[in-house]
Amino acid sequence: MNLKDVLSPLYVWKRAFEKPYTIRTEKEPRPGADRYRGFHQNDTEKCIGCGSCAEICQNESIDMIPVSETKDGDSGLRPRIDYGRCCWCALCVDICPSSSLTMSNAYTWIEEGLDKDTRETFCFTPGVDEKPWDNDEKGYRRPDGYDLSLLERVEMEELSPAERVTSFIEMVKGFSKEQAKREADRCIECGICTATCPGHMDIPGYIRAIREDDIEKGIEILYKTNPLPGVCGRICTRRCEDVCSLSLRGEAVSIRWLKRYLTDSAEAGKYRDLLHDEVVSSGKKVAIVGTGPGGLSAAYYLLRMGHEVEIFEQNEAAGGMLRYGIPEYRLPYGSLDNDINFIIELGAKLHLNTKVGKDISFDKLYKEFDAIFTSVGLTDSYKIGIEGEELPGVTTGLTVLKAVTMGQDPKLGDHIVVIGGGNVAMDAARTARHLGVDVTVVYRRRLEDMPADSDEIKEAIEENVEFITQGIPLKIEEGANGKLNFIWGKAEMVDNGSGKRPSPVLIEGSREVMEVTKVIAAIGQGANYGWLEGETTKQVKLGKRNIEADRWGKTDDPKIYVGGDMFNKTADAISAIADGHRSARAIDSYLAGEEYPKDRF
Amino acid sequence: MKTIYEDLNKRFTMSGYKQQRDDLAFVTVDKDQLVNAITYLKDYHKFTHLAFVTAVDWLEENEFQITYLLHNYELKVDLGLKVRLDRDNPTMDTIHHLWKQARVYQRELHEMFGIDFPGSPGVNDPMILESWEGPPPMRRDFDTKKYSEETYDHRERQHIEPEDHLRKQLYPED
Ligand SMILES: Cc1cc2nc3c(=O)[nH]c(=O)nc-3n(C[C@H](O)[C@H](O)[C@H](O)COP(=O)(O)OP(=O)(O)OC[C@H]3O[C@@H](n4cnc5c(N)ncnc54)[C@H](O)[C@@H]3O)c2cc1C
Ligand code: SF4
Ligand code: SF4
Repeated sequence: MNLKDVLSPLYVWKRAFEKPYTIRTEKEPRPGADRYRGFHQNDTEKCIGCGSCAEICQNESIDMIPVSETKDGDSGLRPRIDYGRCCWCALCVDICPSSSLTMSNAYTWIEEGLDKDTRETFCFTPGVDEKPWDNDEKGYRRPDGYDLSLLERVEMEELSPAERVTSFIEMVKGFSKEQAKREADRCIECGICTATCPGHMDIPGYIRAIREDDIEKGIEILYKTNPLPGVCGRICTRRCEDVCSLSLRGEAVSIRWLKRYLTDSAEAGKYRDLLHDEVVSSGKKVAIVGTGPGGLSAAYYLLRMGHEVEIFEQNEAAGGMLRYGIPEYRLPYGSLDNDINFIIELGAKLHLNTKVGKDISFDKLYKEFDAIFTSVGLTDSYKIGIEGEELPGVTTGLTVLKAVTMGQDPKLGDHIVVIGGGNVAMDAARTARHLGVDVTVVYRRRLEDMPADSDEIKEAIEENVEFITQGIPLKIEEGANGKLNFIWGKAEMVDNGSGKRPSPVLIEGSREVMEVTKVIAAIGQGANYGWLEGETTKQVKLGKRNIEADRWGKTDDPKIYVGGDMFNKTADAISAIADGHRSARAIDSYLAGEEYPKDRF
Repeated sequence: MKTIYEDLNKRFTMSGYKQQRDDLAFVTVDKDQLVNAITYLKDYHKFTHLAFVTAVDWLEENEFQITYLLHNYELKVDLGLKVRLDRDNPTMDTIHHLWKQARVYQRELHEMFGIDFPGSPGVNDPMILESWEGPPPMRRDFDTKKYSEETYDHRERQHIEPEDHLRKQLYPED
């Protein structure tokens, strides 16, 4: 034994007076690294409840549970995380389209009372159930520039504005197969769009079909909820794209153009084979008034349900506003005819040039048919309500658009003024530009208040339509050389308090004169109830805004149903199509002696 | 590296030499010659450090691959020796007599892939999978989800599909 061996126990004693190296973990847990992946945080105001986090989680750690109210583009569900399963991979944070989901760097959670049911422990809904780490700044966030989602659209080729105005050729060229597949790859299949689409189209379903290059399956999915997919693939108001979760940080998936790609890729003659299920005849007859999208959609579904269908239309061709309103450069007649012909070929009997209330009475339809669906749209243009409106040079947007559809010369002269800021105004203005006419649009409010689709406004500007905003029409007078003097005044926007939109008020004494060849009114349309006559319509009540009916379009007379623009608030093609589908199902139940449809879409 | 390889190649049956970086190369050796080749590298070429032993399941080819990574402290280079085994009869000679720690790697490979190393001390003892009854979990044909569903209790999921929920709330009649 040497000296060192004797002394070493004393060296150890020396340590007794130093600060110990031990860290007491329960009292002061060592903080996680700055970007440590700890317990989740969720900004529930930003979260849209899309469920992409739950979908991507490889451990099924996330359940979507009801937390708040459901609104457009927000399911009201929020993710609840089970830490018995979570492996802290952060895929959920990386995919989250709203960037609401993050991870704190906290990693200790002491659960009191382990006598609790183990199924209740170590689960929480971030942002809803309060936790100490809720406001921690440190932790994992998706790094800038790193993304699992493809945020940019595949660009769509279009004719240039200069090429556009020389003809009525369709301006949007459509996707190639490669472009469509690439665009389809962007969809994260959250399904927020499906719920928001008035027709509840299975959007992720048909986008998946494109990705898998299965056109037939895609077409089949489209027809389940929409028998005019070639039309909607071109002109749909696409509320689905407004709520697409990718649009929160990037560009929405081009849902409309993908739908168009499917219909462009299938051969027209093949539809019949594709949708070939056996139809058992019910022996019942249904009359449809109007061949707009509402009437056509009802016709399609009623035929598929085995009912006999006859359609009555006052015009010389079917399609309603799709044909006589929407211009050819947005919806070529060939594409419209493709969709319509398929429906007619399924066996609908079409009576053109037959106005109900004039050429045939409603009473007669009522007696001869087992049920009637009416979707006659909004045909009466509103008056501007100023002096000089009856002058021969004053007409409406609908009149001009219809004349152009029918191949007539609308005789616009060289400079027209279009009054209004909606889609009809844009279509009328741009149609005139395509005919080589100079166009000034006069609108009461500001550019950003215009109800027209922003693309339409942008394209009108590109085509050199002149815009006068905050302009109030005052009077129309006869001018020199058969022209008209359109007199208008400048308005200022007056604040109406928070939450209300400001209103235009004419500036005292403001008065401008514009010499034009035509004045086109396009400030909205109302319904015409001329057909609603005779003894059999007594039970049908007119409400304040429309005919009174329930959500199925059923009036107080269970034999009479209504839908489309004359009934719904949204007044677009897909809403009319959804109405037709809904009423067809209600009619089917009624004819079978049942109260309401049993199944959902 | 190249010269070491050339020397090795004269003595042992090798294939697929790949120089991945200046200081890292891999080569496949015949199964029967592996222990000899490693011993030779250790004794004559100063690859005195065993960095790790690991395995890959080449399911489609019905083979396992074991990789031994050796390090030479003087040259500061790594050489990986790969060997292929029949997946139906996965047995390999032990190298624990060369490096004691090889026991641990071999025990782990036995547990995770079911590769046997007869004679390696404690090779049959579990490392982390106490009372495991399923097949070796790192084999690619091991179905993790199926196994966990059959073996463990689960909390009931309360998940609601956002699409259904949204639709039911916004359009209850549809
Ligand atoms: C210029 C313009 C542009 C538009 N652009 C778009 C767009 O881009 N996207 C979009 O989604 N929507 C657009 N819309 C709206 C869309 O066209 C309508 O929402 C849709 O057509 C409404 O369908 P519907 O079935 O209600 O009736 P309509 O399409 O209005 O059709 C009604 C049909 O009933 C017929 N009819 C009326 N009365 C009788 C009677 N007594 N007897 C027999 N037949 C009768 C009419 O002749 C007409 O054919 C646009 C509308 C217009 C006017
Ligand atoms: S992915 Fe993000 S936005 Fe979607 S539900 Fe999860 S947390 Fe909310
Ligand atoms: S961190 Fe990974 S395992 Fe945990 S909830 Fe998110 S996705 Fe699932």
